[in-house]
Amino acid sequence: MNSLRFRKKLTPYLLLLPAIIVMLVFVYLPIVENIYYSLFRWSSIDPTMKFIDIQNYTRIFKDTIIGGALKNNVLYSVISVIFQVFISLVLAAILESRIIRHRWANIFRNTLFMPAVLAITVVGITFQLIYSPNSGLLNQLLRGIGLDSLAHAWLGEEGTAIYAIIAVSQWQWVGYDMILFIVAIQAIPDELYEAAKIDGASGLQQFFNITIPMVRETILVLSTITVIGGFKVFDIVWVMTAGGPNNASQTLGGYLYRVGFRNDEMGYASALATLLFLITLALTFIQLRIGRTGKEA
Amino acid sequence: MKKSLWMLLSLVLVMSMLLTACGTKGASEDVTVKFFHKWPEPEQLEYYNYVIAEFQKTHPNIKIEMEAASDEAYKDKIRILMSSGEVPDIYFSWAGEFSWKFARAGQALDITDALMNSDWKDKIVLSAVEPYKVDGKIYGVPMRINAKFMVYNKDIFAQYNLTPPTTWDEFLAVSKTLKDAGVTPVGFGNEFPWASAHYVGDFNAKLVEGTVLKADYLLTAEPDKLFTDPGYVEALTRFKMLGDLGYFNDGANGISHSNARSSFMAGKVGMFYCELEEFVTINQEFQNFGFFQLPGGTGGAGDQKLLTGAPDGFMVYGKTEHPAEAIEFLKFLTSPEMGKEYVKRLGIPSAAVGAVSADNALPTVVEGLNAINNASGMALWMDTDMNIKIVEVYLPGMQAVLSGSKTPEQVMQEVHDIAVTVQAELKSQ
Amino acid sequence: MAVKSNEKASLPGGLHRSIVQTRINRVLAYIVFGIAMLIVIYPLLWVLTNSFKTDTQLFDQSWALPKVFKWENYVTAWKYGIARYILNSVIVTVGTVVLNLGISIMASYALSRFKFKGQNLLLFFILGGLMLAPEVALIPLFRILSFLGIYNTYLAMILPNLAFGIPFTTFLIRSYMLGLPKDFEEAATLDGASTAGIFYHVVVPLCRPILASAALLDAMRVWNEFMFGLTFITSDKLKTIPVGLMAFSGALREQYTVVMAGLIISALPMIILFLLTQKQFIRGLAAGGLRG
Repeated sequence: MNSLRFRKKLTPYLLLLPAIIVMLVFVYLPIVENIYYSLFRWSSIDPTMKFIDIQNYTRIFKDTIIGGALKNNVLYSVISVIFQVFISLVLAAILESRIIRHRWANIFRNTLFMPAVLAITVVGITFQLIYSPNSGLLNQLLRGIGLDSLAHAWLGEEGTAIYAIIAVSQWQWVGYDMILFIVAIQAIPDELYEAAKIDGASGLQQFFNITIPMVRETILVLSTITVIGGFKVFDIVWVMTAGGPNNASQTLGGYLYRVGFRNDEMGYASALATLLFLITLALTFIQLRIGRTGKEA
Repeated sequence: MKKSLWMLLSLVLVMSMLLTACGTKGASEDVTVKFFHKWPEPEQLEYYNYVIAEFQKTHPNIKIEMEAASDEAYKDKIRILMSSGEVPDIYFSWAGEFSWKFARAGQALDITDALMNSDWKDKIVLSAVEPYKVDGKIYGVPMRINAKFMVYNKDIFAQYNLTPPTTWDEFLAVSKTLKDAGVTPVGFGNEFPWASAHYVGDFNAKLVEGTVLKADYLLTAEPDKLFTDPGYVEALTRFKMLGDLGYFNDGANGISHSNARSSFMAGKVGMFYCELEEFVTINQEFQNFGFFQLPGGTGGAGDQKLLTGAPDGFMVYGKTEHPAEAIEFLKFLTSPEMGKEYVKRLGIPSAAVGAVSADNALPTVVEGLNAINNASGMALWMDTDMNIKIVEVYLPGMQAVLSGSKTPEQVMQEVHDIAVTVQAELKSQ
Repeated sequence: MAVKSNEKASLPGGLHRSIVQTRINRVLAYIVFGIAMLIVIYPLLWVLTNSFKTDTQLFDQSWALPKVFKWENYVTAWKYGIARYILNSVIVTVGTVVLNLGISIMASYALSRFKFKGQNLLLFFILGGLMLAPEVALIPLFRILSFLGIYNTYLAMILPNLAFGIPFTTFLIRSYMLGLPKDFEEAATLDGASTAGIFYHVVVPLCRPILASAALLDAMRVWNEFMFGLTFITSDKLKTIPVGLMAFSGALREQYTVVMAGLIISALPMIILFLLTQKQFIRGLAAGGLRG
């Protein structure tokens, strides 16, 4: 009898064991190790480690490239939120308003979602080709309609590079976020809308007074994920420009990779990784804070 | 449903373990030599597969496992491999500082003995071995020789009555003529800034006196003197001038080198600065081209006749478990027989003695090799000739100079600063 | 929000105005989405049509249809090894997703149906993974994998992806389970079923919808994964699509149209999978999704 109860008590722990082991070894342990590594100077070519205290961290303040990289991360986050939260919400609301016939709504929904299932290099290389100054689609289109002056070397000019990449991210993810919002909107009881209609509320008023408050939770979660995503970003930038030209499109993730695996400075890369960790930690806490005050309101 | 889930799970686990196990062990008698190079293009892979197949005929118990990564990816990959301890037994390395840092860290095998005390030394062009030496010891062996030339479109030149320039001023005049006539003088793709390094490196070698240059590149100069020679700023200014005068195509920083080459092959630009190894590629689509060395000027402190170029070769992993087999394969790879085949298939000069001749190479390639042999010296590729941390500041700096976001003086100041830092770091080790 | 047009009968003025407004809105809505569709589809169509051209044709007029269909581009791409990359992506994705589902459903069950000491801590432990950036773990993971001797193997991609995928999957499944009524389980307990029995025969089948969508979402994430693949795999034989494609495009740099053929081949599997499973996907998301 006792052993049965003991076993029963043990059950939840046993169920959780695989998850805990895997995450401990492959997520949490690395994070701790990373902080340890950041206190040394070492490289991939010469792995002897030299303890240098917090020099890697003081270096962050003197590093001229980091400022630009972080600025790009912020741009990434802000623009992504505008498109992936607000614009996708509006699109979702329009689709759910049944102002468009059901069959077309489905077609729109599924097509807009499709870019999200494409592998990151497929998207990256596709747009590299599209942005190509001579043979690319974008410039050829611009030249074709006589807007030659607008044709740029999109990925090759310092002023346009990061924006060109951010645009590609929006292209890929707006549809996905739109569907998340559609799901959230579908959960809103119809009666609320009916009541508003009877009171004479316009579509716009219904959107602001019913839709937005009711999907508040989703907006919050998605915003946080998007902002954090803007700081984590690595793949698409690496594929399209590797941070160039002249570090104009460099981001924290890409910079850390380059520092570690090209500049032979693993210790410094670890310090940068810790910086990234602290930023995402802070952002998450801010979100939890906002979420909690919201619940209390 | 759960049962099938578990079955699928265990199947996948077993499968992946089998697949991983499969890769690592071979038959116990055989020796496996891992070979890593930077030419994943289909034609090159064919050549290397041929070499491996031929080698197996005489060495059936040595298996060669080949991997390749393209230029840019290679620079990351080799470091990743060294970090993980899974270093290939034979790996490609650019000559100069790039190879020396491996030698310093013990990642390259000293092959002085193997090379100099056998007939191997008679089969390689020995001057090409020089850049792989550290403290008089040989750590790498060259497989091919490359140099940078300015190719020009003979038709376009004829159309405007131009002859290949022999001085810098003549070069500027030729460019001006073309520009005024509405033809883009030089095709240039600087998306990966090693392309600009080839220009600036050439100018550096011609505008900065030889010993000063060496002291700066090798970080043996006094800290406050590092990279302060006015020749460096002049070199960048010269480079910037080419861009400002419109002698390069627009948007060079956004176009890849191969993209620019395609423009030359399509007859859209007058000249193109490329490596000898590209002659064959160009020749496939466009045959009427000639070449000249990028000319020096008057009054430069360096050697005006220096040619930018370098050998490319391989090193053996310092801690390899199979040094004898690796060296055996390397010897075979760099032999004149394989060298001739290399030239025949790919049109690139091999570093093996007597591999290039009129029978198996394009006339232009033979001429190019002669030019190399007759040059007063070679200036190595700048971006592999100095410490990577300096390169990572210098090269983006060139892109900035071209786009106008930094001045030559600013860039050289940054280069000086980072050089001082790196020098101090190396001293403290 | 929509007003059916045959309801305009009784009320004057205001409603009529709003009907016209609705019609205008409808047209606007179609235009907006039409443009959106165009922006989404055209790049892919462009790649598709150009994948059949020669490189010179691409340079000239890239939006025209190809004069001749150059199927050789596809053959070249396939022979170079695109097939291998697809296979590797499938192996890694299936391996990761299956393991993830198994582990996460157990964890979710524990965290939704049991009261035990430290449950909040463990919940936070697992969900905490949601906020972590994989880059932070990159260098240490690299050494850990070498140490375990699984560097440059399929496991090198499966295990880290698994670890970073457990948080979200657990979150999804747990939310869903919290919303499940306990009646069936209670009935089963009364019938004398063991915990394991309840788990296998009651809970898991009930969770099918969320398992399907969790599987699809995770598959999407792993299929897309680039950074780990770039760093933990060096052998060309093991590369997944994202990394392999980069190598492929690096090697065939100038043969743009062949690269495009490679892109199309790589994109097809996922597109087809999505088209076949969209209904389940959306249904699952709605049932367990981002609410609560």
